[in-house]
Amino acid sequence: MTAGSRASVLPSYVPGEFWDEMFEAPGQVRPHYAELARRLTTLSSADVQKRQRAADLSFQAQGITFSVNQDPSGPEKTMPFDLVPRIVMAEEWKRIERGLEQRVRALNLFLHDIYHEQRILRTELIPAELVLGARGYRREFRTVDVPLGVYTHVVGSDLVRDGRGTWFVLEDNLRVPSGVSYVVENRRVLKRVWPQIFTDYRVRPVEGYPQDLLEVLRAVGPGSDDPTVVLLTPGVHNSAFFEHAFLAKSMGIDLVQGSDLFVDDAAVYMRTTRGRRRVDVIYRRVDDDFLDPLAFRADSLLGVPGLLATCRMGRVTIANAIGTGLADDKAIYAYVPTIIKYYLGEDEILPNVKTYVADDPTDRAYILEHIAELVVKSVNESGGYGMLIGPHAPKKDLDAYRTRVRDDPRGYIAQPTLALSRHPTWSVDHLEGRHVDLRPFILFGRDVKVTPGGLTRVALRSGSLVVNSSQGGGAKDTWVLEAEPC
Amino acid sequence: MLSRVADDLFWVARYVERGIAVSRLVDVTRHLELDAGTEDFWAPLVGAIDLAGDDVRFYLTSDTMNPDSLVSCVRAARTLSRGIREAMSSEMWEELNSLYGSLATPTIARPRGEAISFARLVREQLQSFQGLAESTLARDEPWHFLELGKFVERADDVARVLNRQSHLLAAGSHTKDPTGPDVVRWLAVLRTCGSAEAYARYYSLRVEPARLVEFLLLNPIFPQSVRFSLTGACLSLDAIAALRTAAGNEPGPAVRTLGRARAQVELTAIDEVFERGLEGFLSNIQQLIAQASEELSATYLRDEPVPGRLVGVARATMIMAAQQQQQ
Repeated sequence: MTAGSRASVLPSYVPGEFWDEMFEAPGQVRPHYAELARRLTTLSSADVQKRQRAADLSFQAQGITFSVNQDPSGPEKTMPFDLVPRIVMAEEWKRIERGLEQRVRALNLFLHDIYHEQRILRTELIPAELVLGARGYRREFRTVDVPLGVYTHVVGSDLVRDGRGTWFVLEDNLRVPSGVSYVVENRRVLKRVWPQIFTDYRVRPVEGYPQDLLEVLRAVGPGSDDPTVVLLTPGVHNSAFFEHAFLAKSMGIDLVQGSDLFVDDAAVYMRTTRGRRRVDVIYRRVDDDFLDPLAFRADSLLGVPGLLATCRMGRVTIANAIGTGLADDKAIYAYVPTIIKYYLGEDEILPNVKTYVADDPTDRAYILEHIAELVVKSVNESGGYGMLIGPHAPKKDLDAYRTRVRDDPRGYIAQPTLALSRHPTWSVDHLEGRHVDLRPFILFGRDVKVTPGGLTRVALRSGSLVVNSSQGGGAKDTWVLEAEPC
Repeated sequence: MLSRVADDLFWVARYVERGIAVSRLVDVTRHLELDAGTEDFWAPLVGAIDLAGDDVRFYLTSDTMNPDSLVSCVRAARTLSRGIREAMSSEMWEELNSLYGSLATPTIARPRGEAISFARLVREQLQSFQGLAESTLARDEPWHFLELGKFVERADDVARVLNRQSHLLAAGSHTKDPTGPDVVRWLAVLRTCGSAEAYARYYSLRVEPARLVEFLLLNPIFPQSVRFSLTGACLSLDAIAALRTAAGNEPGPAVRTLGRARAQVELTAIDEVFERGLEGFLSNIQQLIAQASEELSATYLRDEPVPGRLVGVARATMIMAAQQQQQ
């Protein structure tokens, strides 16, 4: 790319010392971004702003919103959407796909083992107390068989790239991962407001996700050939409610709340205008703790009394299964390469980020000493909560976290601060580098299927490493190419 | 269809219809005020509240403490819709959502001087919502619950407006033509029910209370009349009940109660209405509608055990036994 054709909206774009997804070096665009960069040169900043406004309005009008902190009276926000798509090469994606499939298969074998024979605990590979003491472990589910041996029907793993462009798995979300509706909607909106940029690329579609999900859910029904599938939501006040409605509508299934369901004679029914109707598969977007007030939290109004017992009898399938939180515990995460090796006899394709488990005395000493360089995370929290970013934290926070780690070592892990890759992102009237991650979605029924793309989350504040939508993060459309552009 | 979803659809339709009725009321009261300048003209329309001028308008349009204000109706309809957007078309949801979004803008939400244009704007979008339902929904359960809510609300609204005016007709004054202010008042009643033009076409604008009451209460083909609305409500309820019966369940008592209300307006002539007393007649209709609404909730929307066939037969047997003893 010559200096003369540099984008008008990219006049002084500085890739910086991070891995930049689009630029190899100042002024030098990576080959698979060349056509997009060429497009950007034809645009004035007024034109981009116009399209940006059109996109924002579209999200607003459709009510694609989330409420922050589950505050019902609080304002509903749209997730900020950045127009410049992120592009992943076909070859690169193949490796990611294989890596994710390997990981999900191994984690499901691990879950099956822990809820049955517990073979791995009789080795020295992973401390038994770490596994059985995990908050996500549900001893009520020992010896319960799940259809097809699948525990995690939907997984959303978070991937990041370091300064050299290497892909890492930052965490696995095996309970109720959200964000996939944005994958589909971001694509739709980008096509609507900026169709021209699609003409130079062959981008793999993401539209098929709801159908793929439905196929998975229908495959795990308890016996019936034509199972009735429902989506269980905590309700409109949940921050991901839009997604629940979106998925239910796309799949053509009922969106139910706990109060719509009841258990009678070891079967789950929903209340309909024509009378009761048997339910076979529940795609639940409610956490384990709230599923059944008889078994877990008695104060839960979101659940269904008797659901757990019915599920244990194999008379209803719950997806994801109860007790999967065990395997996305952030301390267990550190052992995933070991788990892959143990169950599959393979080396991991996608590496883990180096992780210090505070429960381990050596690691703990290291964490306490180097806390100012590390990211410290609570093992059970998500959404960017319960997290300390050492290099950016004031001294009193460092001290507070030191105390926490000392008092509750099982509750914390630490990782080196990652130099997350950056991507050109629209900022007022020009493009600037912003840190990004990627959450692909992996479906597991009869087979493993990775949706081509995923949610690229972007930390919109300059220099920020926090991409969570609850903390000022936005999103980009993510393109996986059918083939590399020639 | 889920009972909760049906319930919410029913109430979405009621709030939308109520919003339309309230917006007409805003329109009418403002016009009345500018014409005649006397508050007691429109006070009976609004109901018994101690407010005047702009305060009334605020109460009717933007007061979030008033559950029946325009803003409250739109908010309630939109909040419910948000939870059941999978049961309606995207167009319907987006119409309601964008209306709600525009109300959240402070300049529009406080329409002190602009009440009429504000009310009209809201009304148009609510009517557009109804139009979209008409053209985008299949005629199955969601549609019928929307229709049911719309017509039950309309019948109730019109009956209420008439009832609030019925005191004017006390002492038999309805037999002679009204004079002066009363004409204005009766025209306002027609406008409040969105029926002034249709009435004019029907009767060439001779505003006689008896004709007017007959038109709004008993007309079989005008969609704002109580009779038309109750017929529409019954048709939808029958369709819903048929599906339930086909699944082997009791259709519930609401079918009979609403049918009774419908029979009242279908099988009573206007002179008989006045013979029996307009106020009592209207109160009876309103009471039957309220009862049907409650029974509907119990059967379809909350799925409570209702006195079904078994109870009905058992009770009939007890009554028979009691009667035999008397003989």
